Amino acid sequence: MSYTLRGRVETRLAALVPVLLGACVLGAVLHRWWPVELVALMAAVGLFLDLEVWHRLLPYEPAWATAPLGAVELGALLAVVYGFGLHAPLLPALALFGAGWLAAFVLAQAGFPLLRLGYAEDGGELGPAGAVAAVAVVLAFAGSAATYVVRLPPVVHLSAGVHRGPLVITRREVLQGEPGAVVRGGIVVAHDDVQIRNVTVVGGRNGITVDGVRGTVLDGVTVQGAKLDGIHVRLAGVVIRNCTVDMLGNRLGQGIDISFNMGMGMSMVEGCTVVGGQEGITTHSSGTDIMGNRVSRTTGEAIAVVEMSMGMASHNTVRDALGVGLYCSDRSLCMFDHNTVIGTRPDNSAGIRTRRGFAVLADFQAEADLWRNTLAANPVATGAVTGGTLERTSRPGW
Amino acid sequence: MRVAVVGSGLAGFTAYQTLRRSLETGEIAVFGTDADPAAAWRVRAAAIRQREMRSESDGHTAPTSFPGLAFSSVRRRRSLRPLLESVLDRYHPTVDEFLSHVERLRERSGWDESVVRRQVARVAAVEGGFELDGACFRHVLLAPGHPGLNMPEELRTDPRVVHAYEPHDYALTVTVVGAGLAAATEWLNALAAGAEVVSVRRREPVRRPLNVPRHYFSRRGLAGYHGLAPRERVERLRTLTAPSYPAGAQWDEPLERAAREGRFRVERSLNGSAQVICATGFRRGFRHDPLLARLVAEHDLETADEWLVLDEDSTVPMLSDGTRTLAVAGAPAQWAFPAADTLAGARYAAHRFLRRIQSCRTR
Repeated sequence: MSYTLRGRVETRLAALVPVLLGACVLGAVLHRWWPVELVALMAAVGLFLDLEVWHRLLPYEPAWATAPLGAVELGALLAVVYGFGLHAPLLPALALFGAGWLAAFVLAQAGFPLLRLGYAEDGGELGPAGAVAAVAVVLAFAGSAATYVVRLPPVVHLSAGVHRGPLVITRREVLQGEPGAVVRGGIVVAHDDVQIRNVTVVGGRNGITVDGVRGTVLDGVTVQGAKLDGIHVRLAGVVIRNCTVDMLGNRLGQGIDISFNMGMGMSMVEGCTVVGGQEGITTHSSGTDIMGNRVSRTTGEAIAVVEMSMGMASHNTVRDALGVGLYCSDRSLCMFDHNTVIGTRPDNSAGIRTRRGFAVLADFQAEADLWRNTLAANPVATGAVTGGTLERTSRPGW
Repeated sequence: MRVAVVGSGLAGFTAYQTLRRSLETGEIAVFGTDADPAAAWRVRAAAIRQREMRSESDGHTAPTSFPGLAFSSVRRRRSLRPLLESVLDRYHPTVDEFLSHVERLRERSGWDESVVRRQVARVAAVEGGFELDGACFRHVLLAPGHPGLNMPEELRTDPRVVHAYEPHDYALTVTVVGAGLAAATEWLNALAAGAEVVSVRRREPVRRPLNVPRHYFSRRGLAGYHGLAPRERVERLRTLTAPSYPAGAQWDEPLERAAREGRFRVERSLNGSAQVICATGFRRGFRHDPLLARLVAEHDLETADEWLVLDEDSTVPMLSDGTRTLAVAGAPAQWAFPAADTLAGARYAAHRFLRRIQSCRTR
C-alpha cells in the first residue's frame, strides 16, 4: 500500500476506534485509567511517527512491514510510558498494544478495502468515514478526559492550626493541608481513593489508619506521638511518599505497618523518614516496595519484611537500629539492594542470638537476595537463621 | 437501461463487477463481440505459455481489492503459503487460478445476461447522454481493449515472423524482439524448447515487480503525476510504459546458464534465425482504435501525443458533467492512470465511474 499522508492518518485513527472502545470498557471494568491513557499514547506515538517518519521513509509500505514498524512503535511507546511514569501493568499493556496492532493490520489489509471501494487506490483515505473516525477518536478521548476531570475527587483544604480528631474520611477526597495544618487525635481513611497531603497528625491511637480501602495516597504527612502505630495499614493498597514519622518514646508501636494486603496490588513506601518505634517500616503478608527511606533508632527491626511478604527494600538508609537493621522473616521473599545500614547495636537485654546487631538477617525459611548494600559498623553484617537464606545476586529484581 | 460498458474484455468485466455493487443486471448493457471476458487474454497467455500472473493477490476483477486471489489459493492449495507470500509481496496467482476466478465471477454476477453481442462503431454525445449506434445511455464506460498487436513495420512481410501473442512453436534458432515481460517469457520458453535464442532490443529492460512503480497505483504517486503539465506527463508516460519484467533468479539463472552454453545472446539487429518472435506488445494510441479515433474526431476532444486526455477520474472532461458520464478504462486510460492496462487499473477506472454515477443528480 502506498499511503497518502491523509490516508495514513485516517487509517491510523479509524483502526484505533475499536481499540479505544475496548480500552474504555476495560478501564470502566477495572476502575483504572491506564488503558485509555495507553491508547492515547499509542495514538500520539503512531501519529507522530506517521507524520514525521513513516510517510517520508516509505513511499510504499508492504504488508510485512507492519511487523517491524509495530516493533518500533512499541519500543517508542514503552519509552514514553516509562518516561512519564504511567502505571500500566506490563503484560496487560502489551496485550492491549498487541490487540491494537492486530486490529490495525486486519483492518488495513482486509476490513477497510472491503468497506471502501478504492481504499488502496486512494492511498488509505477513507473519505467521509475517515473524518467520522477522526471525530469519534477525538470525542472518545475528550469524553474520557472530561470523565477524568469530573471524577477527580474534591479537594478539601485544611487550614493552618490545630483541628480536633480523630478525623474520619468517608468519601473520595483530597485532604490538602495548608502549611501549619495539624490534626490532633489521628485520621482514619474509610473510603477508596483518598489522598492526604501535607498534614501533620499528632497523637491518636494510630496516627493514620487505612483499613480495607484502595487507592490511598499519603503524601508529605507528618505523624508524631501515636499511641500504637504511626501509619497503620490493613487490607488496603497505599502509596506513602515523603512522610515523617516520629515514634521516639514508643517502644511497642511501628512507624509504618502495612499488613495483609497481598491481594491489593503493590503498595509503596518512598522517601519517608522514620525515627524510633519498635519497627520502623514493617510489612506482613504484603506486597510492598520500600524505597529511599531513612529509618533510625528503632528498638526491634528497622525495616522488616515478614510473614510471607514479598517486597523490595532499595536505597534505604538505616542508622542506629537496635538488634536488626534489615529483616526478612517467616517465608518472605525479599530483595535488598543499594541499602545502607550503619551502626546497628546489639540488643543484649533478652540474650537472644538473633538480636546481636545484624545489619541484615534472614529468619525462618525466608529468602533474601542482596545486591550492592553498604553495611558498616555493625556487630554482624549478615546472618541467616532457622532455615532462612541469604544470597548475593548479580541480577537484582524479581 | 442507464449504463453501458463498451467492451466485453477484462477491463469491461472488471467495471461490470464494480457496477453490480449498485446496479441490477438489467440496468447495465455490455457491448462486445465475445461473452467470455477472458477470451482474448486467454489466447495471448496461452501463446506465450504464461503460467503465472505478473500481478499479485489483488490482481483480479472483483470490485474490492480484498479478498485477493491469495485467499482462494489458500483454499485451493490447502496451504497458508499463498497468504504468507502475499504478505511478502511474492505471491503471484497462476493463470489457471485467475481464469477460474473470472469464470466464478462471470457466473455469479449475471454477466451473460447483460452482454449484448454487438460491436459498437460510434459513440456520439447527445442531450443528457450518449448514443451508441442508436441506443441512448446516460453513463458510458469505454473499455475497447488494445487496438491490435504491434508489429515492427520492417518485419511485417518477413515470413519468419510471428507475434508472441499468436499461437506458435519454436524453431531451432529463435530471435525474440522486445524487452518486456512477454519477451522474457519467450526467451525462457524457447530455451526450454531447446532453441538457440537471440534477444534483439533497443534498450535494456527495466527490472521491476509490476508494470509501473508501486506508488503509481495509489493517489500518493498519482497526485504528482496528475499535477504534471501535458508535455511532462507524456514524457513520464513514455518512461513508465517502457518494457520491464520482474527481477529474480527464476529469470536470470536460466539466461545466465544458456549464455554460458552459448545458447543465449543479445544483439542489436536481426540475424539469420529461423524464427523471429515479435514480443513487441500492442499498438499504442487512440488513433489505432477506430471507435476512439472517431470519438475524438467528431467531438474535437483534447489529446496529447498518442494519448486521449482524461480527467483524474478517467472520464472524458469535455463530455462528462453532472448529468452524464463518459469514462475510459483499460489501455486507452493511461492519461489518468499509468497502469491502466492492468487489472488494478481497470478497477481504478471502474470505481471512479461508479462514483460518478452515484453522485449524478439525475441518476
